[in-house]
Amino acid sequence: MLSEQPAIFLSLIETNKGIIYKVANAYCMHSEDRKDLIQEIIVQLWRSFDQYNDKYKYTTWMYRIALNVAISFYRRENRRKQLTNPLPDNIFDLADENNGGETGKQISYLNQFIGELKELDKALVLLYLEEKSQQEIAEITGISETNVSTRIGRIKKILKQKFASLNA
Amino acid sequence: MEDNEIISLWRTYGQRLEESLQLNRRNAEEITRLKVKSFLSSMKPIKLFTIAVGIIWVGLIDILIIKLFPIANWFFIISAGIQVLLTKLAIVIYLYQLILIHEADISEPVLETQHKLASLRSTTIWVTRILFLQLPVWTTFYWNRSMLLNGNWVLYLIQAAVTLSFIFAAIWLFRNIRYENKDKKWFRLIFNGSEWDPVIKSIELLNELKALRVENK
Repeated sequence: MLSEQPAIFLSLIETNKGIIYKVANAYCMHSEDRKDLIQEIIVQLWRSFDQYNDKYKYTTWMYRIALNVAISFYRRENRRKQLTNPLPDNIFDLADENNGGETGKQISYLNQFIGELKELDKALVLLYLEEKSQQEIAEITGISETNVSTRIGRIKKILKQKFASLNA
Repeated sequence: MEDNEIISLWRTYGQRLEESLQLNRRNAEEITRLKVKSFLSSMKPIKLFTIAVGIIWVGLIDILIIKLFPIANWFFIISAGIQVLLTKLAIVIYLYQLILIHEADISEPVLETQHKLASLRSTTIWVTRILFLQLPVWTTFYWNRSMLLNGNWVLYLIQAAVTLSFIFAAIWLFRNIRYENKDKKWFRLIFNGSEWDPVIKSIELLNELKALRVENK
């Protein structure tokens, strides 16, 4: 069973790689920091994998850890230095980061606008855009469902205003 | 742009990522072989070291106060007493931080975990306030009866100016080292350096979290 664990973990990461990348992208604008954050998230996921509680979905567990690590990441002084072992360079290879065209441009604006939000609002909007139910969002963030709905309403307004200002 | 357009844009982004994002399996596999500590437990050693040094210091000064109590002058006893009391307070804060480190679990909901982590960081500012509060006693512990009886006016004047200015600075700093003053020049001067940025950001986040926790109730 113990030897199976890394394989199960790796396939879990492979299936949900988008979650990790999107969270890292929302919290880290610079690509070097982003790489570090992705590694940190995967390290902490692996570290917590033993204690995974099947009361929750894998994705709920992943979002909680990824968001907690991402929000805490910017507050740390010596990021990579604090890890006990050196880490490999690139966990994810992104074939084409800058997808061209008008849609590509809009996506990059959306990412930019998300990056400009407050730490907790970033988490909420990511979960909203991933089309998670209000109950799931409440479960991941610990914010009450009513509060989730109010906050998301406010964030949507901000995003719309930012897109509108592009055309002004 | 409407809600559904934003969501559809995000879906497209997700699809594009799915197509172009490859997990470097070999590198990811290396992580599963590492014996990694949580980033929280990496904070433990320095805190434990500080507590150990603090306890040794407090123990030594306590012994000194008890042993010298019958013979030492009151200036020394009171100054050392205040210093040791404030150091004990700082040790209590560090112990509280260790409890928070122990309790924090990154697989818990974001609000809970971040509240613990931000509290952990923000209490560091309390240690600094306490550190400044003990400034005056470093200018009084060496006073003695003979110095006061046989000193001259110049000595009295210099001593009084130094002690009073330290008392003023200590009280002023204790009262004013607050998040609200984070943008003031003097604050930036004291808390200059990258190690303080996370503390300030934590307090910022803590304020946001407190408001959310109130709304949640």
